[in-house]
Amino acid sequence: MSRQFPQKADTGSKASDDLLSEGHEGLRKIPDNEMIASYERVRDHQVQTGQDRTYPNIRRLHGTPFEREKDRREVRALLEKPNEMQAWYQMARTQPCTWWIKNHLVARHALKSCLACGVCTSQCPAAQYYEEYNPRAIVDIALSEDEARLVELLKSETLWYCGQCGSCKPKCSRENNLMGLISSLRFLAQLKGYHLASVRGRQQYAARHLWGGNLWNRACSLYFRNVTSAGHPDFGPRYADYHADIDRQMTRLGANPDSSGQLGGRKVPPETLAELRRCVTWGGTLVLWQRLEELALEDARAVGISIDEYHDQVRSEG
Amino acid sequence: MTASTATTKVIPENDFFIPPSCILGAINPSTEVIITRIFDLLGLRWKAAGVGPESQCTCCTGILSHGDIMSIESTLLVVARLWSVAAEMGFENISPACVTSFAIHTECFEMYEHEPELTVKVDRWLQEACGRRLVIPKHIVHASDVVYRYRETLAQNFMKHRLVDKTDGRPLRVVDHVGCHYAKVFPEKSIGGADWCDVLAGAIRSWGGENVDYPERRHCCGMGFRQCMIRPNRGYTMACVLKKLESMEPWAPEAILTNCPGCNVMLDKEQWAVKELTGKTYDIPTLSYTELAGLLLGWDPYGVVGIQAHTVPIEPLLDKIGIPYDRSKEWQPEAQQDIELAGVRA
Repeated sequence: MSRQFPQKADTGSKASDDLLSEGHEGLRKIPDNEMIASYERVRDHQVQTGQDRTYPNIRRLHGTPFEREKDRREVRALLEKPNEMQAWYQMARTQPCTWWIKNHLVARHALKSCLACGVCTSQCPAAQYYEEYNPRAIVDIALSEDEARLVELLKSETLWYCGQCGSCKPKCSRENNLMGLISSLRFLAQLKGYHLASVRGRQQYAARHLWGGNLWNRACSLYFRNVTSAGHPDFGPRYADYHADIDRQMTRLGANPDSSGQLGGRKVPPETLAELRRCVTWGGTLVLWQRLEELALEDARAVGISIDEYHDQVRSEG
Repeated sequence: MTASTATTKVIPENDFFIPPSCILGAINPSTEVIITRIFDLLGLRWKAAGVGPESQCTCCTGILSHGDIMSIESTLLVVARLWSVAAEMGFENISPACVTSFAIHTECFEMYEHEPELTVKVDRWLQEACGRRLVIPKHIVHASDVVYRYRETLAQNFMKHRLVDKTDGRPLRVVDHVGCHYAKVFPEKSIGGADWCDVLAGAIRSWGGENVDYPERRHCCGMGFRQCMIRPNRGYTMACVLKKLESMEPWAPEAILTNCPGCNVMLDKEQWAVKELTGKTYDIPTLSYTELAGLLLGWDPYGVVGIQAHTVPIEPLLDKIGIPYDRSKEWQPEAQQDIELAGVRA
């Protein structure tokens, strides 16, 4: 194979290079349209490699303060005139928790009744790892319609312990879907800002920019450059060797790292990304992303750190 | 087939739209590529991109949904868009490469059954969002379902090797680890259900091996989305992997077979972390069903199957079966013609 993989690519302009090295404070002065245009120009810079097109700048953009700030601006603009689901989520976050359980699409299908048999807890992997975790107790609180207990749950650390494996689902004689219920309650916790009360809840700000940033900008939830050997020392030295050579290895195996194509690592065309973003937008998700942003900023200010420092801090806390 | 492994699941014969997997694409890209190569070998019609050469395929939102940062309505719309892309090319069967994607697509499918008015709403939103229409597919099957359907065909017509010890023909002892989101979230949509799922066990038997049961066979691998991907939470993942390894050890498995992208990563790679933390070396080769199929088909272990991406060395298993490999190719990409010589349509 003769394909070359540039290690440091030209961003296309001096101004874009400057933006890539800026922190949040410096980026604040850049107008929205200039920032978004600059990002897209850098992202879409392409190199012809044989019959393929490679986009060597994606690696430089992912996970940067520049990308996060650009995303904030886009999300804010898309909420200026709320659509049907955005309006619903904005309304829903002001309602009592019990209202949410009866009205949210996932929650209202997730919970029927409970025998208190405990089978959900007895074979729950999270309950075996975290001694204080008990999914049966979460069902009990959800069914209690006791607002104070619900608020306490939404502020708790334990709400975030479920691994979303669904091991409980086929065992429940009442066909409850605890995985769905817990996910729905976590969504509500974030809308209401209760997630800030727990270490694992605060991690959601990093999760939003990791998975959400990937989806919004690369149409995937996990980008192959996220899984570094430095971030995953648990994966061992052989993985480190593999990842150090990731572009060549992926290409040799038939994947498409930062290039046109169909499989792993592919860069989707702008029109596909635009359709995806419109679907995400119509479904109301941006209300949550904006809430996470506002609440993180308040939290960061309260402890006297920048939003970028906050992002890095919540990602490594726990 | 025993009653416990019987299934009424319909696995279509042909025509599959394959939404790629984010985890496979990022960490085990060959597993996904081999799906398409096996489908080619079987002469099946498939598509993973869209009407043009550039991909119209996006993430299903699975990790974001289980990571609690995506609304269900956004997920419904993103999946509906993927179904629309499939329908545009004449595909009625969705066959995700990822197990969580399989559950996400199935969840959307089920929601329309439980709340028929949702179809009207999502169809309207989808039109307004991107000018597409909601077209509910006929079948949603995981790619491992399709391989299960053709497991005997692969064994009898194409495989060059059997899952047996080359020295005495003894069937190799293989434990299966079926992804939770394949068999537990919608057990009725899996082959054999949550407790006695046959999707991997059937392949192990057909390909010559012995499927070995063990107490924690159904325990989750611990990937857990926010557990493995947010570093401070990763102790949970390691503990789940350790629990499984300790449980399977007395049965001396010679390989672990998976059908879920996350399980394949965790059960393989966390063995190194377990070794570092406990001092105990398990080194049980862990392969996805397509990686194992690729090896038994005689495809190049490094150039096609990509065993160099694995933390636990696969080479001892190859030695046991008698699959040849050239260690000099581990990190040195070979010329394209060498891949073609390996009998694969690259």
